[in-house]
Order: sequence, then structure tokens, then C-alpha cells
Amino acid sequence: MNIQLQNLTMAFNNNPPTLKGINTTIKDGQLASLLGPSGCGKSTTLMLLAGLYKPTEGKILFGDKDVTNKEAEHRGIGMVFQNYALYPHLSVLKNIMFPLKMKKVPKAEAIERATKMAKLTQIDHLLDRKPGQLSGGQQQRVAIARALVKEPELLLLDEPLSNLDARLRLEMREEIRRIQLEVGITTIFVTHDQEEALSISDKVILMNDGEIIQEASPLDIYKTPNSIFSATFIGSPPINMIKDGDKILGIRPENLKPTAEANSKFSGTVTYRETIGRDTLIKVKCGENTLNALLETGDIVNFGDTVHLTAEKENIYNFDASTGRRV
Amino acid sequence: MKETTPLANKESFTSKFSKKLRNAIFVDGATLKSTAKAYLYLLPALIIIVVFSIYPIFRSLQLAFYTDFNFFTREGFETGTDNFTYVLNSQTFHLSLRNTITFVIGVVPLTIIISLMIALAIHSVAKGTAFFRSIYFLPHITSTIAIATVFQWIFHTQSGILNYILSWFGIDPIAWLGHPDWAMPALIIMSVWSNLGFGTVLLLAGLQTIDKGLYLAAKVDGAGKWHRFTTVTLPMLSPTIFFLSITSVIGSFRIFGQIFALFRGPGTANSALTVVYFIYQQFWEVRNIPRASAAALVLFAIIFAITLVQMAVGKKLVHYK
Amino acid sequence: MSDQTTLGQGPLSKTTLYILLSLGSILMLLPFLWMIISSFMTNHELLSINPRVFWPSTFQWNNYYRAMQVAPFGRYFFNSFVVAILGTIGELITTILAAYAFSRMKFWGRDILFAILLATMMVPNEILIIPNFITIANLGWVDRFEALIVPWLASVFSIFLLRQFFLGIPIQLSYAAKVDGCSDFKFLWYVMVPLAKPALITITLLTTISSWNAFLWPLIVTNITEMRTVPVGLAMFRGEAGSQYDLLMAATVLAVLPMFVLYLIMQKYIVAAASRSGLKG
Repeated sequence: MNIQLQNLTMAFNNNPPTLKGINTTIKDGQLASLLGPSGCGKSTTLMLLAGLYKPTEGKILFGDKDVTNKEAEHRGIGMVFQNYALYPHLSVLKNIMFPLKMKKVPKAEAIERATKMAKLTQIDHLLDRKPGQLSGGQQQRVAIARALVKEPELLLLDEPLSNLDARLRLEMREEIRRIQLEVGITTIFVTHDQEEALSISDKVILMNDGEIIQEASPLDIYKTPNSIFSATFIGSPPINMIKDGDKILGIRPENLKPTAEANSKFSGTVTYRETIGRDTLIKVKCGENTLNALLETGDIVNFGDTVHLTAEKENIYNFDASTGRRV
Repeated sequence: MKETTPLANKESFTSKFSKKLRNAIFVDGATLKSTAKAYLYLLPALIIIVVFSIYPIFRSLQLAFYTDFNFFTREGFETGTDNFTYVLNSQTFHLSLRNTITFVIGVVPLTIIISLMIALAIHSVAKGTAFFRSIYFLPHITSTIAIATVFQWIFHTQSGILNYILSWFGIDPIAWLGHPDWAMPALIIMSVWSNLGFGTVLLLAGLQTIDKGLYLAAKVDGAGKWHRFTTVTLPMLSPTIFFLSITSVIGSFRIFGQIFALFRGPGTANSALTVVYFIYQQFWEVRNIPRASAAALVLFAIIFAITLVQMAVGKKLVHYK
Repeated sequence: MSDQTTLGQGPLSKTTLYILLSLGSILMLLPFLWMIISSFMTNHELLSINPRVFWPSTFQWNNYYRAMQVAPFGRYFFNSFVVAILGTIGELITTILAAYAFSRMKFWGRDILFAILLATMMVPNEILIIPNFITIANLGWVDRFEALIVPWLASVFSIFLLRQFFLGIPIQLSYAAKVDGCSDFKFLWYVMVPLAKPALITITLLTTISSWNAFLWPLIVTNITEMRTVPVGLAMFRGEAGSQYDLLMAATVLAVLPMFVLYLIMQKYIVAAASRSGLKG
């Protein structure tokens, strides 16, 4: 089922709009991330998709059906919340069965479907527990099972990984992708973590200040940022921004290579050095700029050394300093 | 500049006020549909509250000003302030007010002091807290009429167990319920006994929230036991004591049922006639509804004024965290 | 729980405190014990002076039977039970619905309406009783169950208590439930109500106890014997039984028994509930 947002606008109680006319399409079976800093409107967009908020203007289409004014309970979507929002008084099985109970699915069938979902999410050994007795990762799986059990055509995930510790976050990230591919469900995933968005999605929708800045596949959004915002928000360690007249040059740290003095574009002293796994991150003070460069293991540089750096032309992004757009 | 400032202030004040009012009425995100639905949920409670709690406030104001009112048809004719004049000048009302104040002054401090002692004792013994607490609390869940009936028997002049116990100390039988001088003491004894449990439970809850670290700190600072009580326990407990004193004063001003059951009337020579009893008499025995309403409003005014005074005093004495 | 060395609240030793507390407990229980013992004695034994009798020579179970002959206590019990049960169920329903609206629904006038309701809590009952009697009389409800039950079917205090509890339940649960296909009512019934069980127990106990013990209002709206509640019946019994203290005590035991049993079972909840509010009045 394709999801379309047309000129979607949302203002709370006569305040300036938090969402300023969003237009996008998410294709059937895709996993799309809504990425952006807090307050950018990504969660509002998700709440609008769920039907928990009603837009001030604009339309939401599920397939070719306009669902803009449909209540959440009639949209037939699945949703996973940041804090999982499991019903604390119900067992895991009852939690998963809850949406089916609301649809008046016969009990035997409901149990069967819930158990199947629990197997898919690998929590079928926990069915009798209460949510309070589960770890964060297990609660997460229950929340996913509950969201998927009624076989919705759209799955919404609201920062589902932010309450987990780092190791579990990686594991659950893969799990979500595995389950999503297995079920083949159109999924929209809200996150403020660019790495998460890049690693899991088919499409990243980058938002800021109530607007979509850029939407593209993870690779494209990384390689061809359309604006300063896009370039700086995505990538870790962050991209180098160098002022050059009325232009700003953006160069990703891994694209800065050591070179002979003659070819160098930037020269300076190493003020900081850190090993990140196989790579080495250095900070180089060149005039008024401090550049981050990610070197491969072969390049041995020490603190205090003078280094000469260069970058391929296609790896230098030019931005207009006044508009912030790519030129 | 100087001329415009007050005007600007005034404007901002009114606009602030109207904004506040608007926010109080127009809740964020409410629509006609959601409003209609919410009022459907509120309807059962609202009907009851409007009919039996809000409307009667205005109705009793109206009733109190009827000078000619038919009890049986419940119709009023002429209006005036005669009822208030009557109540405020009535010797019986004055007596009822004196009795009530005597009762309040007798019951409230005694209840609070004894409750505090019991609460401190229960708190200090490590074991049996719940056991003692539930025993002292028992009268609180018992019907006041039942308690008064039992005390009527305990206070019995010839055969009452209280006079029997007093006889061990060579005290002659006291006509607790028959003699005008003893009516108030009897009423106070019974009320203190039955109010202790509530005070104890409340104060005990207050004691349990006091941070133990404060005692350690006071001890390190060299405070003795009594000093620790006055510098830590009492200030930390003062909000509870304050709450207790306000609710007990209000509750004691409203005493009626106990008297009805204990004396089967207002006591010998009206010695146990309280304000609410006076209202009941005017309403039910004299069948003068406007006068009873006027007396009820006067009682409300008195309680309200006393509560305000208590609040003002409390503001100075109560220590809030 | 408490630490004697850090608290050190008094000059008295623990043993002394235990003795004093036990003596106090006896003083608290004595009236009840004397009530029970008296209810099994003959009136002759009760009024004996020399020698004074403190224990029944034979237990006069008959007193209870006789008390019920003098006044229709069975009927009083029936009335009190009907009033307490229907009143409590009714109040729970109005409270749950209203508390849900105040805590989870968006509607015009919400905050101002809530403030008005809170303000009504300040008005003492005595002001309301006379106009309410007139309302009841105009409705033709005197001497009917409606008069005993309907005015108490909603309580601002209970609504306030439950609203506070509801507000403590995360809002995400209601979002989750909506997405799961719950209507407001189903969410309230399947999620909020089970989660609010502690608050609902508190409200149930407070309502039941104050309904059972209510006196002034039932006294005023019942004229005929058949409609009296237990406290009214007991207060009137003295006139009917004369100075037969054996019967009077038997009747009193009967009157307090249901709440004693409730207290025995739910003691912990009742104490907790009462410390959250004043119970009587």
C-alpha cells in the first residue's frame, strides 16, 4: 500500500505551524525513516499518520483512499511507541491478542495468531509474563508483535530503539529490519539518530523545522546532500564545513586524504588523534578551521605533526552561504 | 512615555486575563465533536452535582430571605431579612453557638495532642505498628449513632461502667447525661475517643515521611531528644497538624448525630444544643424552613471565617518543604 | 521500620511505650467489648448494683431475637444494604465516566468546569440539606429509595481522586489502545479501569462506609419505619425499646457488625483510604 502525504500542515491551537505542508510518497513494502532533530515535526507526522492528531490542512492517502478524517481506531495500522506502551495489567499473550479482541476475532483464532506472531518476534517462551517482568528488548518485541498481529498494511515506529542500551539497539535494529522484510509491510520509522536511519531504511526523509529537507535512499542522501543541513546532520564524525567567500565547502572526513605538500589543499597541525576501530580520526588546525579527517590504518600520523590533506573534486560539496542550498 | 505606560499595563492585564479565560474555556485541540462526547461522559455526574450540590447553594440563599413560607406546599411569598435578624438575636441560637464553640475548643486541641502522643508512641515501637493503628482507628469506621448509643449506656448514672470505675477512686456517681454541667464533658469525652484514630493515622503517615537523615543531622549538631522533637519532628509534621486542625474544627462545628443519639434531644436545659441541632429544630420541629436556612448560612459564614483565620495563622506557623 | 536511635522521640523506653499503647488499646476497645458483653446479659443483670455483674450468667442469644421483634431490623438492614450497594455502584459509574472525561478528553470549558466542581467541595452539607429536602419532596421521593440513593450518586471528591490517578497513567497507553482499535469507552473499560483498581477500591470503601453510617439525611427523608436505614432505626430504637439496655446493645452490635466485618477483611485498604481523606461528615 502506497502512503501519500499531500500538503500536510499542522498547527496546534493557533500557534505557528509545527508542520508546514509536507508532500511525500512512501512506496508499498518500503521502510522509510523520518529523520530529524527534536521538534522538527517528525513525531507530529507520525501521529498524523496514525490518526491520533488531525491535520489543520492537507491530506493523507492510504493507497487511493483518503483517510485524513478517519479515527485512529479505524485506520487499521500497527504502531510501536518509544516506551512500548504495553498494557501493564495484561500478560504478554493478552497484550498481543488485544487488537484482535477489539476486532472481535474468535478467541481460538486470536490465540493462534498471537502465538504465531510471538514466534516471529521470538518471545513465544514469555507468553504468560506481565510486561513488568520483561527486559526492554523483550518489551520491544512484544510491542512489535502486538502491532503486527492484526496484519496491518502500515507499521509505524516511534523512536522504538531510544530506550535501549547501545548493544541491544544494534540487535533490535536488525530484528526490526528482518521482521519487516519477512512480513513485507510498509513501515515508517521515526528517529533522531542518523546512523539508525541510514542503516535500516529503504528511504530516508530528512526533516527540519516542519519541512522536508531531502528524501533519498541512505546512500544518496549521504553522498549527495542537497543542503548544509542535510550534509551536517548526516554522517559521523560530522562533515567539515569550510567557509570560502560566499560559498561553503563541505568535505566528509573520510574523503580527506593525506598527500604531498605540493598537491595539498589544506595543511595544518594535528591537535587531536583518536583511534576508532580500524580507522584513525585526527583533528587538523588549518588557519581558522579545524578539520576532521578519518585516516586508514596505513597512514601513521602523530599528535603535533604537520599534515597535508586533499580531496577529490567530486567529494567537495559547494553550498551557497546565504541560502544553504547545494550549488 | 510616562502617560502611555499605565494604559499599556492595563491593556496587557485585560488581555492577559481574557487570554487566561479563553484558555480555561477553549481547551487545546477540542472540537465540537470531542466536546459533545466529553459532556456525554460527564452528564450523569453533572446532573447529580448540579441538582444536589450547586443549585441548592443558590436555593438556600433564596429560602433564607422568605418571611412567609408554607412548609407543606413549599411555597414562599414575602421576602425580607427578618430570618437573619431573628437568628442573630435569638437567645437559643446564641446558646447553641456558645455550646458549639465550647465543644470545638474542648475537642480539637485534646484530639490533636493525644493523637500526636499516640502516633509518636506507635512510631517509636518498631513492631506492631499496623496492629495498634487498626485498633485506634476502629471507632472511625463505626457509625456515630452506634457509638453514641454505647456511650449512652456507659454514661448511665446508676449502672454505667464509667461511674462504676470512678467509684474505685471514691467519686460519687455523676449524672453525665442528665446534669447540664456534665453534658459537654460527656460529649467531649466521647468525641475525643472516637476522633483519635483518624488523627493518629494521619500523623503516623506524616511521621513516616520525615527523612531520617534530618534526625541524624540534628544529632550530629548536638541536639538532644527534646530539641530534636521541637526542631525536626514538629516542623516537619506541621502541615499534617494544620490539615488536621482545619478538618477537625469544621467537623466539630457540624456535630449533630451524636447529640441526637446520646441525649435523645438537645440535653437538659439545652445544655447540648449545638448550631446544627438548632438548624434541625427550626427545620424539622418548628418547620420554619427560611429560618433554618438563615441559620445554616450563618453557620457557614462562621466556619468560613474561622477557616480563613486558621489559614492566616497557619501560613505563619506551618513549615512547608 | 523506625529506628529508635535516630528517632529517639521520647524519654520513655520501648517497654513503657508498649505498656502505654496496650492500655490505650484497651481503652479504645473497652466500649466495644462492653457493648458485646452487655448484649448477652439480661436487663436485670445489667442494672444490678450490688453485687455488680460483668459477665452473663448465661448468654442471652435471645436478646438479638427480641430486639428484632421490637423494631424491624431486618428491614433496616435490607434498606441500608440496598442504599450502600446501589449507591456505591452508581457513584463508581458516574465517577469513572467523569474522571475519564476530565483526564483524557478534550472539551470546551474543561478547566473552568473542574474548578467549579472543586469549589463545591467547600460547601458544608448542612447548607444543602434543606433545599435538597425540598427538591426530594417536590419529586415525591420522600420515603422512597430514590431519596436515599440518588443525591449521593456523584461525588466531586471521588472524581478528583480518580482523575488524579488516571492522569498518572501514561498517555501513550491511550494512543496504543486507539491504534489497536479501541474506542474511548472500550479503552476506559479494558485498560483504565483495571489499572485504576487501587483508586477504585479506595472510592468503594469510602463510599460504602459513609453510606452505611449516614444519619442526618436519611433521618430527614424517611418518615415511615419501613424506610429507615440502620443508624436511623438505631437512633429511634431507644424510644421503642425504652430502657431495655440488653436489647439496645444487641441492636447496636447488629448495626456495627457489617462494617466491623468489612474492616476486618479490608483493614489495610480502609486505613490507607481514610488517610487520604476525611471519612465522616
